Amino acid sequence: MVSPEAKKLAEERAARMQAALDLKEPDRVPFTGLGGDVIPAYAGITSYEYEFDFEKNRQAAVKWFTDFPSDSAPRVGLGGLDNQSMGVAFQDYPEIVSGVNSVNGPMNDVLKMKFVRFPGRELDENSARQFIGGKNMEPEEYDQLIADPVKFCFEVIMPRISGGLKDLGSPASLATMARFGLEKARQDAEMAKTMQALMELGYYFAPRGVCLAPLDLISDQLRDIPNLILDLRRYPDKVKAAAEALVEPMVKMGTMSIKAGAKECFIPLHLNEYLSPKQYNEFYWPTLKEVILKLVEAGMKVQVFFEGWHDAHLETILELPAGWGTAYFEKTDVRKAKKLLQGHTCIMGGIDVSDIISLTPAQLDENIKKLFDEMAPGGGFIFSPNIGTCPRETPIENVRAVYEAVEKYGKY
Amino acid sequence: MLMQKELLKSFVDMDEAEAVRIARELVETEGGAVAVLDTCKEAMEEVGRLFEAGEYFLSELIAAGDMFNQIMEFTLPKLQGGEVASIGTMVLGTVLGDVHNIGKDIFKVMAEASGINVIDIGIDVPHEKFVEAIKEHKPEIVGMSCLITLGVDSMKRTIEVIEEAGLRDDIKIIIGGGRVSQAVMEHVGADAWADDAARGVRLSKELLG
Ligand code: B12
Repeated sequence: MVSPEAKKLAEERAARMQAALDLKEPDRVPFTGLGGDVIPAYAGITSYEYEFDFEKNRQAAVKWFTDFPSDSAPRVGLGGLDNQSMGVAFQDYPEIVSGVNSVNGPMNDVLKMKFVRFPGRELDENSARQFIGGKNMEPEEYDQLIADPVKFCFEVIMPRISGGLKDLGSPASLATMARFGLEKARQDAEMAKTMQALMELGYYFAPRGVCLAPLDLISDQLRDIPNLILDLRRYPDKVKAAAEALVEPMVKMGTMSIKAGAKECFIPLHLNEYLSPKQYNEFYWPTLKEVILKLVEAGMKVQVFFEGWHDAHLETILELPAGWGTAYFEKTDVRKAKKLLQGHTCIMGGIDVSDIISLTPAQLDENIKKLFDEMAPGGGFIFSPNIGTCPRETPIENVRAVYEAVEKYGKY
Repeated sequence: MLMQKELLKSFVDMDEAEAVRIARELVETEGGAVAVLDTCKEAMEEVGRLFEAGEYFLSELIAAGDMFNQIMEFTLPKLQGGEVASIGTMVLGTVLGDVHNIGKDIFKVMAEASGINVIDIGIDVPHEKFVEAIKEHKPEIVGMSCLITLGVDSMKRTIEVIEEAGLRDDIKIIIGGGRVSQAVMEHVGADAWADDAARGVRLSKELLG
């Protein structure tokens, strides 16, 4: 049962985040909270248990989010690894997409993806899961990708990346899909329990869409980054055409969850930091911008995670309509971003996870005080670690210092 | 001389086809292999400078690294022993739990181009493997690459294990990659840090004295 108090708390938290998204000043600086491998470590369980056992995962999450309360619906459940090319392959079947788009441990036992490794399987029980990537497509295949990205991802790429589906139409692949369905049903039921447990603690859950910048889909999942970088010089026209061909599939992936109530779509960027402004504006931004504009047109807010240094491309954000969504920064200084984007874009980020590991509680306290002094006025700011995951060894006294500082200095 | 100039220019301008063509021609001339090697090193250094100045980006570093490797593939076999002077040896790896290699590989090519003999021991490298490599290759410097926060603790432990093996005083340790900073350097007990390859090469040379 979700108590009236928990319900009220959830509403307050949601309103706080929403105010920031609407570029206003909430009652307090909204805080996404910390997470990652430190959660199982804090609960005294292995990363393997946390990534494979829903019951233990749930208990660990409840302990963490009770002791360290934050404002956003936390990323709970088993952690997954990005598998969007397979999402594209099944884009006309949303119920399948939500299971293949990001592959978690037990699901990988079924699909046997080539580019992932999990704790307690290929890795030590306390390792973090790994996406190891790799090249799954040759340059001669750009034409096929351009002609029909969905067909290409299904017929050519999927058999290369999924051990369970390497022989399309074989008994083994049909059995894989049947097992996938059973596992998906089990996971959906388990996730409902986890969400219920967190709602009882006063958290809210809003589904959200996820998609990639078209060029990132090619570099992350198909060609790999160094090859794509060389392709930009060797086959510029093909790369451009391929990115254009992927705009529609990416919009479809992003808007798919609107039916389930999603109001926001998340897009993590990877290649941005690698490219010169000239390359960014020629190969990357036009198709990314088109995807964002179409998501906004469909009524969504968009949260873009500008990974790495985004300084060289910062001004292009102003080409989007004011209120389009949130710019989440990793290395780019949020203060610098605020100077440019205040009143136009909600800004998210502010603390480097390396600092949470390496500094003292007193230093963290001071840094956060200074940060809020500069970032809070005017609103439109969400406080968040610069990357999603704190490792197992993160000192708990430092975690505590971060939450206490948010409590102390976050009031408007 | 003219060919060397042209090679330098096309390399720095990222004209891959032209740079490789000139290098192939130059390498066949008298003393050509040494000329190609020296010119490519100079070009890599210039690319690094442009990167530090914010004119070039990672994309150029990757393309330059690829060009350098392509050219070295046909140039190195033509060099006589003793023609490749090394200013020191570095054991380089991405630390345990971390599989990112792009940054490490960029740094490696640039360090090699600057005359450092780099022994690359790969990614996700166990602590003991660093120790074994130090014993085997007796480097002056050990380089660790770290792109994920989990790697911070890996570096700390690796350095502890190196210490326990009694090898810490024989080497300097430089850390690099997206997750390193002054604070991280102090936390793990390294001697220098760099989150860009050009600076990393400069600091490595300083560490070599
Ligand atoms: C490309 C990438 C990948 C690729 C890696 C491909 C490859 N073969 O390397 C793939 C897709 C495989 C990948 C996988 C994962 N990644 Co990743 N990845 C990135 C990304 C986008 C870029 C990293 C990169 O290559 N940068 C460019 C290079 C050139 O920069 P660099 O390494 O800093 O190197 C420069 C300098 O630092 C220096 N340098 C590098 N090494 C050294 C060494 C020495 C000695 C010196 C002196 C200098 C030096 O020279 C280089 C040139 O200037 C970053 C985000 C970002 N933009 O940083 C995330 C990022 C690093 N990844 C992240 C994560 C979480 C992962 C995964 C765990 C994802 C997952 N859930 O599976 C996995 C696997 C991880 C693991 N266990 O290692 C997180 C790390 C978060 C954290 N906890 O710290 C990041 C920060 C993304 C994010 N914002 O969340 N990733």
